[in-house]
Amino acid sequence: MTTVLLVDDEKLILRSLEKTLLRAGFDVLSASDCKSGRGVFTRNMNVINIAVLDLNMPGFDGLPKSGAGLDLLADLKKQKPSLPVVILTAYDEVTKAKDAVSGGASAFFVKGREQGLVELILRLLKVAG
Amino acid sequence: MTNDIQRHAILLKAAARAAKNITTILDPYELLQRTVDIICDEFGFYYAGVFFLDEAKEYAILKAGRGEAGREMINAQHKLAVGGNSMIGASIANRQGRIALDVGAEAIFFENPHLPKTRSEMALPLIVGDDVIGALTVQSMEESAFHDEDIDALQTMADQLAIAIQNSNLHRQAERRSRLLKAANRVGKDVTSILDLEKLLPQTVNIICESYGLYYAGVFLIDGSGEYAVLRAGYGKAGRAMVADGHKLKIGTDSMIGACISMSEARIALDVGEERVHFKNPYLPHTRSEMALPLVYGGRVMGAVTIQSSEERAFNEDDITTLSTMAEHLAVAINNARLIDELRDANAEILRNKVFEALTSASTEAIHWIGNKTLPISLTIARLHDEIVDGKVDLESLKEDLDMISESAALIIQVKEQLIGAVREQKPRLVLFADVLQTAAHQRGIPEKALKMEIDLEAAYVIADSTQLVRALGNILQNAAEAGAKSIKVSVQPSEEHGLLKIIIEDDGAGMENDVLSKAWSPFFTTRGVEHHGLGLPAALHVISQSQGRIALFSEKDKGTTVVMFMPRGSANDEPIEAGRVKSILLIDDKDDWAALFANLLKGTKVKLTQSTDLKNFPAADLILVDEHIKSIPLLELLTALSKTGLVSKTVILSAAINPERVTQFLRHGALDVTLKPYSAREVSELLK
Repeated sequence: MTTVLLVDDEKLILRSLEKTLLRAGFDVLSASDCKSGRGVFTRNMNVINIAVLDLNMPGFDGLPKSGAGLDLLADLKKQKPSLPVVILTAYDEVTKAKDAVSGGASAFFVKGREQGLVELILRLLKVAG
Repeated sequence: MTNDIQRHAILLKAAARAAKNITTILDPYELLQRTVDIICDEFGFYYAGVFFLDEAKEYAILKAGRGEAGREMINAQHKLAVGGNSMIGASIANRQGRIALDVGAEAIFFENPHLPKTRSEMALPLIVGDDVIGALTVQSMEESAFHDEDIDALQTMADQLAIAIQNSNLHRQAERRSRLLKAANRVGKDVTSILDLEKLLPQTVNIICESYGLYYAGVFLIDGSGEYAVLRAGYGKAGRAMVADGHKLKIGTDSMIGACISMSEARIALDVGEERVHFKNPYLPHTRSEMALPLVYGGRVMGAVTIQSSEERAFNEDDITTLSTMAEHLAVAINNARLIDELRDANAEILRNKVFEALTSASTEAIHWIGNKTLPISLTIARLHDEIVDGKVDLESLKEDLDMISESAALIIQVKEQLIGAVREQKPRLVLFADVLQTAAHQRGIPEKALKMEIDLEAAYVIADSTQLVRALGNILQNAAEAGAKSIKVSVQPSEEHGLLKIIIEDDGAGMENDVLSKAWSPFFTTRGVEHHGLGLPAALHVISQSQGRIALFSEKDKGTTVVMFMPRGSANDEPIEAGRVKSILLIDDKDDWAALFANLLKGTKVKLTQSTDLKNFPAADLILVDEHIKSIPLLELLTALSKTGLVSKTVILSAAINPERVTQFLRHGALDVTLKPYSAREVSELLK
């Protein structure tokens, strides 16, 4: 079973994505900010196959931060360099996308096409072997 | 012999009287003319005249002469060569008095056609120190009117006249300098008070010409290349035409301005004397003298000012000092105006950047917010669609999905209400501030004990749309509560600014860091998590601005936030109330500020007012009024009780902040009407109709 770590501060989006991923056959572990995301990952590092992180959400100090998802990305990659990570955002932003890739993200995904996310996750996991 | 002695004594006395009179005259023009009159009158001479030497000391030029003959000769520019055959020319050349008679061995034939009756003449040099400055001629119709011994007597008078002329010249110079200094000060004072460069330069040339009585003045400033001095302002039509023509002069060339700027020193040009200059500017045909003064500030030459006179020899070296003071004032003024211009440009640039930054930030926040709030709807619908197509609809999951759609939609509607609500048309009226504040606090669930009001009696009323003001105050109070404020202190007092109230709302909440404070007015900016739309303060700003008020925010991290608002101040009037058919009113409300106002407004009318909150016993009344924001009884419970007793049909719900959804709700409960709370006698009359 593939386990996805899903971190987003928008509870409705989090739940909706969670349901979509569950329906697609994944196990989902979810969190709503960087701090809890790191906690969930640290506790379940061995079972988590892929992480999907919101770009803008509360940072490690709990305060809203633009690009906080990139901080969590760096933290998770430090713990597990082989982890595929998808960065989620509500709108296109080339600079942020480049930052995400240079920070080790496998993909940058603009929210809105949920089925596209499922396909993306499947493709990344296939590449990761 | 006795006659000669008497004549000489008379002559001496006359000379003394003439000298005494002459030396009291300071005005140079008056001095000369009166001198010739005094001499003729005292001595009984036929004619007297005063000559001055020209610059080159070649000619003696007649400056004053007795009577019509004198005037005619002056008009004819009568002059005599120094050292020539004339009496005057010889007396100047020899520095001695001379006598000529038409009798005796050296008889002279007087042939001046203007003075046909002259039979004797005495010419006396006018000497000051070592310098001969001119000569005096006195003429008599008598033959042998003068004797050699008379020369000394009259020379003494001529010496006094020469001293008087010198004094008069010194006085004239001192007076002129004083006038120029005063004008320089006036110009300095006037120009330094003008801070707009576009106004400064044209006004400066006007001030200079009017203060000094000059023909023309112009201000040149060095252009960006540093090669040319460009005329930026010129006096009168000529000046305007030259500015329109783009008149400019190369720096360092032969032009007065160019040379003045390149050498950073004042220059004078006159069309008289050895260095005579021919002024050729077709716009300024009457210029006879020009002075160019450099405009220097901080050691840097910025340009030059030209001043021109239609008089010959209008300026001398002494004037440079005086007029340089004026040029220094002008240079300071130009520099100040330029600094102000630069500051204004810099501010405009900052403002443009800030506006762009704010718009970008607001747009980004809005896109993010709207994206996040609408996304769950589209995601959930897409999933539901797939589930229906797959025939795998789970009722529990479906219920959760519908709840998510509903919640997202509710948040979006909240934003719509904040955005559209604030821009809804405002109906400003007299409003009791305490009541709208209490309503706002009640709506937002602010505990009564947390809110402290201090309202000056003179500041009880504000002019505003009560619904909008409740919205704005509610947003501010809610922010304070969400920042963890335990105490919110609201004080209202008349502002020092006429016609305004100063409203201060202080809380002891978490306060804000500077970077958060700087974004606080931006739409969609929030630090309170995803459930907040970040529109509270922008909406409050909009409402207050629409009410012709102002609002400012001060905050310090961990020390709380203070909101200061200035709003138009209202005042109650004593209009009589027309109660119509209403004889008795039951008011169901707390004992608050508005209830007290309402009771007060009804004083003096025949309407009987009863106030009660007892749900079990409603006193009889023609009309029942209920405050929508009553705190002591739940409103719906009250409406139910009124329905049960059949009284709801004569019940009017009064609201400080009317809302269409609640109006519908109350009307469905059977209320007679739902309307805005009256705050003035006129509104009470309207209500009772």
